[in-house]
Amino acid sequence: MMEVNEELHNNITIYKYNMNKNYIVEQLKKQIEGFQAETKLEKVGKVLEIGDGVARISGLSEAMASEMLEFSDGTIAVALNLEEDQVGAMILGDYKGIKEGDEVKSTGKILSIPVTEKMIGRVIDPLGNAIDGKEEIKSDKFYPIEKVAPGVIERKSVHQPVQTGIKAIDAMIPVGRGQRELIIGDRQTGKTAIAIDTIINQKGQDMICIYVAIGQKESKISRIVAELEKNGAMDHTIVIVAGASDPAAFSFISPYSGAAIGEYFMDQGKDVLVVYDDLSKHAWAYRQISLILKRPPGREAYPGDIFYLHSRLLERSAKRDEKFGGGSITALPIIETQAGDVSAYIPTNVISITDGQIYLEADLFYKGLRPALNVGLSVSRVGSSAQIKAMKKVAGKLRLDLAQFRELEAFAQFGSDLDEKTRSQIERGKRTIEILKQDQYAPMLVENQVSIIYALINGFLDDVAVEKISQWEEGFHKFMKSSKKEVLEKIVTQKELTEEIVKDLEEAIKEFKQTM
Amino acid sequence: MKISTKQYAQALYELTLEKSESEVNIVVEKFVKELAKNNNVKLASKIIDKFQEIYNRENGIIEASVTSAEKLEKSQMEKIEKYLLDKYKAEKVILSNEIRKEIKGGIILRVGEDILDESIIKKVNNLKTFLME
Repeated sequence: MMEVNEELHNNITIYKYNMNKNYIVEQLKKQIEGFQAETKLEKVGKVLEIGDGVARISGLSEAMASEMLEFSDGTIAVALNLEEDQVGAMILGDYKGIKEGDEVKSTGKILSIPVTEKMIGRVIDPLGNAIDGKEEIKSDKFYPIEKVAPGVIERKSVHQPVQTGIKAIDAMIPVGRGQRELIIGDRQTGKTAIAIDTIINQKGQDMICIYVAIGQKESKISRIVAELEKNGAMDHTIVIVAGASDPAAFSFISPYSGAAIGEYFMDQGKDVLVVYDDLSKHAWAYRQISLILKRPPGREAYPGDIFYLHSRLLERSAKRDEKFGGGSITALPIIETQAGDVSAYIPTNVISITDGQIYLEADLFYKGLRPALNVGLSVSRVGSSAQIKAMKKVAGKLRLDLAQFRELEAFAQFGSDLDEKTRSQIERGKRTIEILKQDQYAPMLVENQVSIIYALINGFLDDVAVEKISQWEEGFHKFMKSSKKEVLEKIVTQKELTEEIVKDLEEAIKEFKQTM
Repeated sequence: MKISTKQYAQALYELTLEKSESEVNIVVEKFVKELAKNNNVKLASKIIDKFQEIYNRENGIIEASVTSAEKLEKSQMEKIEKYLLDKYKAEKVILSNEIRKEIKGGIILRVGEDILDESIIKKVNNLKTFLME
C-alpha cells in the first residue's frame, strides 16, 4: 500500500513538473511568435571630436533636428546643429566612455520621454528615470520634449484661481489656472519658498504639481523633497532634478521634460502646476551648450534664440477650452536677479513673456517682512478674474489701504503732529503689513484669508497693538475653526460675501474680541 | 580666405579629369607645392580621402565592406555585389570581406554611412529586449 502511494505521489510530482515545464515552453513559444526579426537600413556616423558634453559627428546625412542619436556604448545624444557634412550634438549623460572615431547611429526618433501616472510622488531625472532609489518607472507612452503650444482656438481665458495659500499673493496678485506668473528676486529672498508653499497648498485641490529643479544644489533638492514629504505634498507632486553636477544638457532639457509631463496630464483634462526653479540657470546651461557648439554669441554672450528658448517653453502653459478636453498648465517660472537688477537681459525677457510677476526684495526680507513681497512692483495681468468673489470684495480695500499707507509712510515719523485721519491711515497700514506677514510652510485656506482680511479692512483690528497682531490672528483662526466653522464653510460653498455671511462674520469677530 | 578640404579635393579632381599619366604627375606636383605654400600639408590625408570619395561618386563606384563570422565564398560575394549594384545603381562595386567571429553568423553590410545589420548577434539582442518587455 505504501509503495503504491509513493509511486502515485512521484507520478503527480512528475506530472506537475512536466506541466510546469510545458507551460513555460508554450509561453515562450507564444512570445517568440510575436517577434519579428526585421532589419532596417541604418545610418551611422563617426565621432570627429568630443568635449564639454558636445560631440561633432561626421556623416549622419539624414539626421533630423533634435533627433536622438545613439553611441556604441548606449549613450544618447541630441542633434542640435545640422551642418554641411557634420552634426553637432549634445550628449545626454556621461561622455567619458566615448572616443574619437566611435560609431553613432541615428534612431529616427525625436527626443521624447516616457510619461505615466506612476511618476507622481517620485523624483526623476529629465529623461524620466527614477533617481529616488525606488522601483523603476516603466511606461509605453512617450511624449516629445519639444511640442508646439496650444493655439488660439484651443485656449480659454483664465478664470479659476490657483490658491497659493499666501495671503498677500491670493489677495493682491492672484494667480489663475493656466497663467504664467514669474517669481523674481535676488538670491535668498524666498523665491523657492513661495513655490513650495504653493505646492503644499495644492493638497486636495485636484492639482498635479511638477517641481523642476534646474542646476540646483543636490542638498537643496533633498531638503525640498523632505519638506514636501513632511507636509504630505509628495502625493500630488513630481520632482524633476537636473542637479548642479549633471551635464548642462540635462539642465537644458529639464524644463521641457516638465512641460511634456504636464501636457500628458493636461491631455487627460487635469490641472497642472509646473514650477521652473530657476530659468536663469537654464539660460546659463543653454549659453554654455551654444558657445561650445560655436553658435555666435550675442548680448551677455547668450545666443540669438535665447528669447525663443523661454517663450516657447512658457507658451506651453495654457487653460484649454472644455471643447478640446479642458485641463490647464499653470507655470511659476523663477528668475534670480543679481543685486536687484530686473533690467538685465534674461529678467526683462521673461518678464515680458509672463502674465505678471511676484517681485521679492532683499531689503524687505531683512526688515522681517516675510514673504518679502514688493506689492507695488508685483502685478498679475490676469487680475481679479482669477479670484473668488468673496476675495475680490475684500482685496480691493486691502490694496487701497496699503497704497495710501505707502504714500503716508514718510510722514509716520512726525507722529503726533498729524491730523486724525492721516494717523488712522498710518495705523491701519502698519496692521495691514503685519497681517500680510506669513510663516513658511504655513499656507492658509482661502476662507480664513477672507475672514482675517475682512476684520482688518473694517477696522476691527485698529484697537489691537501692532505687536499683538500676529497673536490675535492666530487666536482668531483657532476660534473660527472651533466655534464658527459654519461661517467658514459658507464662504467656501457660496464663494461670495452675502449680507447674511457678512452679518455672521461680524458677529463672530465681535464675539472673539470679547474673549480676548 | 580659408580653403576647405572639400574644395581642395574638388579642385584636384577637376584638374586631373581626362589627363594622361605624365600630365597628372605635373598637376599633382603643383598641387602639393600650392598646399605647402598655404601651410595646408597637414590636410593631405583628409584631401586624399575626400578625393577618393569624389572620384568614386563621379564614376559610379561604391566601396562596400561585408562583415561575416567566416570567410564568404565567391558565389556569396557575387550575390552581394549584384544586390549592391542594383540598390545603389552603381557601375562598379569594390567589396571587401572582413571576418569577425563575435557576430556568430549572418552578415553586416556597410556602404558609406549606411549599415545593414543582419548578424545573428544583433537578432539575438533584439529578441532579448523584446522578451524583456
